[in-house]
Amino acid sequence: MVIEDTLFVLWLMVAGPLWAAVGMFVLPQVNHGKEEADQLPLTTLRVAGVIGGFALGPLGVGLFYFEPHLIRRTTLTVGVIVTVFASSQVLARVIDPNLPSAMWLLLAGPLWAALAAYFIPRHYRQLEADDRNVLTAAALGGFAIGPLIFGLMWKTTPRVNRDWMIVLGSLGAWQIYTIFAIQNATNPCVAAPYHVTYLTQQTANGIVIGSIYSLMAVGLTLIYSVQGIVSFAHGQLYMVGGYFSFYFLLHGANIWKDLTGQEIVINPLWGIPVAAVIVFLIGAAFERVFLKPMHEGLIERVSEYAILITFGFGFFVEYTTLAIAGPFPQRTDRFIEIRRFTLQRTQITDDFAFGPIHLIGDRAFAMVVGIVLIFALLYFLQRTWTGRALRATSQDRQAAAVTGINPTNMNTLSFGMGSMLAAMSGAALIPIFAWVPWVGAEMVGRSYVIVVLGGLGSVPGALVGGIIVGIVEALGAGCHPDPSRGAAYKEAFALVIFALVLLLKPTGLFGREQH
Amino acid sequence: MKRNSLFISLVLALALFALLPLAAVQADGHCEFADYTIRLGGLAPMSAPGAVAGGVAMDWAFKQAAADINADCGVSIDGVNYMIEVITGDSEGSPERGQAVAERLILEDEVDGMVGVYHSAVGLATMAVMEANGIPTIFSEPWNDNVSANGIMEFDGRAPRFEDGIDHIFRISPTSSMVGSVVTDWLIELGVEDVLLIVENTDYGQPAADDEQARLEAGGVSVTQLDIELGTEDFVPILSRVQAGEPPDAIRIVVTGETSFNLTQQMTELGIAPTEDTICVTNQIAFQSEQYWATVPDGNYCAFNRVGIIPSLFNDTAIELNEKYEAAFGDIVPSFGMATYDAVWMMKDAMERAGSYSDAAAIVDAIEASDITLSQGHYYFSYGGHNPDLPEGTPAYMWHQWPDPIVTVMQYFEQGQSALDAAVIYPPVYQTHGTSYIAPGTSP
Repeated sequence: MVIEDTLFVLWLMVAGPLWAAVGMFVLPQVNHGKEEADQLPLTTLRVAGVIGGFALGPLGVGLFYFEPHLIRRTTLTVGVIVTVFASSQVLARVIDPNLPSAMWLLLAGPLWAALAAYFIPRHYRQLEADDRNVLTAAALGGFAIGPLIFGLMWKTTPRVNRDWMIVLGSLGAWQIYTIFAIQNATNPCVAAPYHVTYLTQQTANGIVIGSIYSLMAVGLTLIYSVQGIVSFAHGQLYMVGGYFSFYFLLHGANIWKDLTGQEIVINPLWGIPVAAVIVFLIGAAFERVFLKPMHEGLIERVSEYAILITFGFGFFVEYTTLAIAGPFPQRTDRFIEIRRFTLQRTQITDDFAFGPIHLIGDRAFAMVVGIVLIFALLYFLQRTWTGRALRATSQDRQAAAVTGINPTNMNTLSFGMGSMLAAMSGAALIPIFAWVPWVGAEMVGRSYVIVVLGGLGSVPGALVGGIIVGIVEALGAGCHPDPSRGAAYKEAFALVIFALVLLLKPTGLFGREQH
Repeated sequence: MKRNSLFISLVLALALFALLPLAAVQADGHCEFADYTIRLGGLAPMSAPGAVAGGVAMDWAFKQAAADINADCGVSIDGVNYMIEVITGDSEGSPERGQAVAERLILEDEVDGMVGVYHSAVGLATMAVMEANGIPTIFSEPWNDNVSANGIMEFDGRAPRFEDGIDHIFRISPTSSMVGSVVTDWLIELGVEDVLLIVENTDYGQPAADDEQARLEAGGVSVTQLDIELGTEDFVPILSRVQAGEPPDAIRIVVTGETSFNLTQQMTELGIAPTEDTICVTNQIAFQSEQYWATVPDGNYCAFNRVGIIPSLFNDTAIELNEKYEAAFGDIVPSFGMATYDAVWMMKDAMERAGSYSDAAAIVDAIEASDITLSQGHYYFSYGGHNPDLPEGTPAYMWHQWPDPIVTVMQYFEQGQSALDAAVIYPPVYQTHGTSYIAPGTSP
């Protein structure tokens, strides 16, 4: 058994690349003269040869030879993904988890990633080719398809666009999944037949909480994009937003009763605009008093000042809240009375069933609130004069001023709005979590990760980054081979992504390069 | 005219203000105090990442005890009354910070004794500071066995922490082993076959879980352990993993503070426990019923371990203390509030019997010989310098350890129920409703 499996792996390791090499060099030659093939760029033919040869050996090369119209980017993308997935599934089912071959896979990915990340960008620069995203693509590709990435990127030096990144990223994910399946066959994330349901459940968990993460991070990124500073009070403004909602709900009904004589129950949804207005005013006032001098040139060491003043503001807000609200945890009523939404189990085939999937009612509601607010913000930024003025200020303050925009007002507006978004996410989460004056500490750390991941200053980046962080945390905690460590290191998984992004794409997923 | 009136009013106000201290003296006129004020250091977590809610309760207990003692003519030594003051030091729940604060209290504030400490990690770290400076200390909340075990002999195969032993440290809270044994005995008697332990990754959580796991496994129960970090808010991914597997017979939460509340609530929201299949056993902080129901609205039928005297056995001191606490915070006094209050009184009692507030050796001897009933019950110490030989089989942690803290398992059975009305379900001797478990949806 051991020998057979080892031979099988060797076959995969040797024959696949061999036929890929044959395909890469032979396919363009034998296609020469064919009308359809001549319309295809040489690079595409080579890529087709590599993928066809690696996936199906001589069959793949033959298929593209006789049916060159099949050579399309979509076909090739699907081919790569299906090939790697199929190979990984075969490997996962055949190989004993303890075999050295599994370890080889484990080590080979990072090794090839490192080699590719080192050599391929240098090669691009030597050729004076467009080297944007090449480092990331090389590392991902090296991890996903090993030495083949050199074939794909070395000879032809293609321009690496978003499609490339998606394909290579998907391949990398499949590679990780494969290694995982080999090493940890009983893990709920890979163990059939419930793994699809489980992965869907965890992904849904991640998207739900990630949407709220995004809302908070959007505020942080808005402040950064306009003012160029990171607000270290963001976590405390998130916290205080929750408390404003709490006290509004607590006292609002009583005040209403005193005024009208009618008893009412106020839904926590109404706490969100209340918290938003109050914290907007607090944030705007803080900006006017403490940050405005910074932009007027009255402060000598601007960066240090911005850090210290926002940090101090955060401390002030936290300890003032502690003095007023006390340390005992609070929570508001629910948004909705439905405890959880459950997608019931459905038998798809005799061997495969999907579900049940559970979503906690209040969280799902908070997710909807978060997404609506983010899209409202995007609408504001894209379609209104003030929003465009904010964006213009973030791009070039002097140019914006020339066109009649008052950058000082934009600074105030951005800090007020950023603070308001933090407060709104706090008000959206106080029905979900036990609320204490230091509740923002964990959340704000995550927000920094999200804005760097999405790209500092990018609102769509913060949205996508939040959801990615949510999913990564959920899958990390849910899929880690050791459930105990998975639970303990939940927050650390996002930091791994953070480190990788800093390493491979320092501008973040949607970030602008500073020139 | 107006100016004259204003001036007269101001003079009158100042005169009244000046007379206030005289009025205070008049109020305490039955006591005459010496110039010197006895100072105790009180260690408590007053800011994050420590358990601030616990710290605030302990800080209140320090001040309430000092106020009550001073109202009772303070500490009386050789016929001289000394006022007592407890200076609170914020440990932040951090061992390093706790050490620094303990040193400051001892060296700068020159305290005569120490009381308090909430977190085991802080207790273990600060013991050395108190011991090195010869400060009599009564811990009122850390549970880690080693707090009292390491002082005298090898414990659990490990060498003693201090070569010369620990002479000055006493504890009136239970040890993790004491608490764990009650919960595990209860689960074993209920006949559960598999238990999921969800444990905080701290010096309290890990040893406590290890102890409970060993006891459960010795009782034939299969145990799975999940570690979590304190401060985590979202447990849904972790709980979804639990939900994907076979439901355990019981889920035991060895987690403190608001993290415990978040975990319990999310567990109930997902329908994992309490259910017909799975018993929910949460942490002692569930006894704070106002906080519990505010943050775990779906937590009905969860059981929890209760440390400290049960409400039906409250003596007059406990009832009075509880009334004061309720007036201050609107909730039932927690066990660590009672223990902290008692610790200050025990220190006063020991100083009076020692005849000194500064002779550490005499005070330690007096604490060892304690024989006093306070809010939590009758305090005494079976083993210490006066009786150093522990019989075979007696755990090493019994050194300077109050042997009789009451540990029970309680359970809510009505939505929004006060902890004072919750059922005591184990051990049988304390049962209030004649049952050792109330199944969800039923009444005892």
